[in-house]
Amino acid sequence: MNSPNLPVVPDGSRLTPGELQSVVFARAALGRRGYDEDQVRDFLQYVERELVQILNQKAAADEEVNRLRAQAGRGAGGVMAPEDAHFQAVRILSQAQQTADLYVADAERYTRELAHEARLHREAILSDAKGRAEHMLEDAHRKAAEVADAAVRAAPPPVPAAPPAPGAPDEPGDERRRELEREIAYLRTYSEVYRTHLRSYLEALLRNVDEWEGSERESVPGESPGPPLRG
Amino acid sequence: MDAQRLKDNFAAVAGQGDAVALFFYSDLFVRNPHLRDMFPIGMTGQRDKLLRALGQIVSQVDDLPALVPFLRQLGRDHRRFGIVAEHYPNVGASLLATLRHFSGPAWTDDVESDWNAAYSLVAKVMLEAADQDALSSPAWWNGQVVAAERRRFDIAVLRVQPDRPLPYAPGQSVALEVPSRLRHWRYYSMANAPRPDHTIDFHVRLVDGGPVSPVLVRATQPGDRVRMGAPVGTLTLDESSNRDVLLVAGSTGLAPLKAILEQIAGRPVPPRVHLFFGARDRDGLYDLEHLSKLAAELPWLTVVPAVSDEPVQDDSGGHGFSALLRSGGGRGTGHEGPADEGIEHGDLPDVVARRGPWPGHDAYVCGPAAMAEAAVERLAASGVARDRIRLETFADAQR
Repeated sequence: MNSPNLPVVPDGSRLTPGELQSVVFARAALGRRGYDEDQVRDFLQYVERELVQILNQKAAADEEVNRLRAQAGRGAGGVMAPEDAHFQAVRILSQAQQTADLYVADAERYTRELAHEARLHREAILSDAKGRAEHMLEDAHRKAAEVADAAVRAAPPPVPAAPPAPGAPDEPGDERRRELEREIAYLRTYSEVYRTHLRSYLEALLRNVDEWEGSERESVPGESPGPPLRG
Repeated sequence: MDAQRLKDNFAAVAGQGDAVALFFYSDLFVRNPHLRDMFPIGMTGQRDKLLRALGQIVSQVDDLPALVPFLRQLGRDHRRFGIVAEHYPNVGASLLATLRHFSGPAWTDDVESDWNAAYSLVAKVMLEAADQDALSSPAWWNGQVVAAERRRFDIAVLRVQPDRPLPYAPGQSVALEVPSRLRHWRYYSMANAPRPDHTIDFHVRLVDGGPVSPVLVRATQPGDRVRMGAPVGTLTLDESSNRDVLLVAGSTGLAPLKAILEQIAGRPVPPRVHLFFGARDRDGLYDLEHLSKLAAELPWLTVVPAVSDEPVQDDSGGHGFSALLRSGGGRGTGHEGPADEGIEHGDLPDVVARRGPWPGHDAYVCGPAAMAEAAVERLAASGVARDRIRLETFADAQR
């Protein structure tokens, strides 16, 4: 069959609408019935329109593919297989969890260190208090002993010129009196010195307690109420 | 199921350490975000527990008589976390995904079917135990603090009223959760034998940096609420024994032994009981006053307090401050120091041994791990048969 110039499709290229338009069909032989020329033309026009549309769509699709490829190439934010997405999510969540664990561990270590320091502080305060108390007692003892000695020295010496006769049994009584005076002076001074020390120490302690209370209140702003545990 | 193949596979996976558990929980939460709220924010301890539990299960996978009791306990324990049957398949799926991920090319259909079979068994045993437990007891008990007493800056005694009776054997403990530290459960021993009003005492010592104990010791008041899991523990009185009894308590390890002491006191004819109560220093003997009172009332009870870190008092001379204070300022002013009478000096195990030997005794020991171990050795050397020694084991304390 001869098909004079026909939709020839060379390798590699596609039929174009222009080629369709330029197709010329040979006339049918005289007396032979041919296609209705108008119908053929109409049909070809129809095919042409379709082809134009298809090619346009293809071009748009190509463009879209290129755009997406470029996007995928730029960053990994493009579309990925669901499985990859899952691993990605697992990885992100794992990192977040590790960060949280790190913060929790840091906070724990910090409280441990603080508590440890507080404990050392407490022990230091206690042993300091014990030391002070011993010091107070010793100081009071020393001062009281001095005062007592002084009292004895200051006391009028037993009068040797007194009439000797009945005086002999009086001697131990005198001795006893001086002994008692000495002890009274000792005790008075001892308790006085001790009271003074104790008072100043207690005042210092009270100041410490006030400071402590104040700083605790400041450091724990919203701890006490806590969330109500339903009804 | 090929047990050896399973063990080999697990050994290879577990060798990759913490990353395995990290992947497992992330996978679980990505697939089931609603499960995240059942766990604490910090997951470090949780991952350790998971790997330990898996390790134990796999190591006994071919020894069902040993494995089943462990799994049943695990199943019961998980009730208080709100774990129900529908969660088990989710966990199984993530477990298999994790194993597959870390097995690499070693993952085969055979290995997969081994794991499927093993997990089905584990889930079945745990669920059966949980369901059975649910017939007789709630998943947890709600409780209200009715008394909170600070005995020292870091020790408190709490009394809790459960919302319904909580049956237990003296010496047992429960896991405790406070509202301000949700999902953090810590085990505490009941410090009394069951009472008609069902109240329970707990002795709590503050652990520096811990999440729960500081709240319990420093911030808990009457009216506060707690949740409690089911009682566990094997440090319980051998009721079949008529032997004399040694109770060796280090610090708040006193709690379970005090409960046992109360149980003994309920017997018609109590055996002789020696209670050794040790602490580092004198004010660590936070319950000595009460114990001394008990000892004065009960002829069969001897209480021996001991301190390890305080120097022996030099009473021989001088006017050392403590000596003066204790003697009431040099003269007997009626302020006798009963607390000081008979306080022994030294590590508790040594003190126990010094007072021995103790042939024919039953011994119950609770305290810090190092102390408890040393006490067991000294007791054994003092004539106590090893199988007559019960001590608190902390295996139960794993979540």
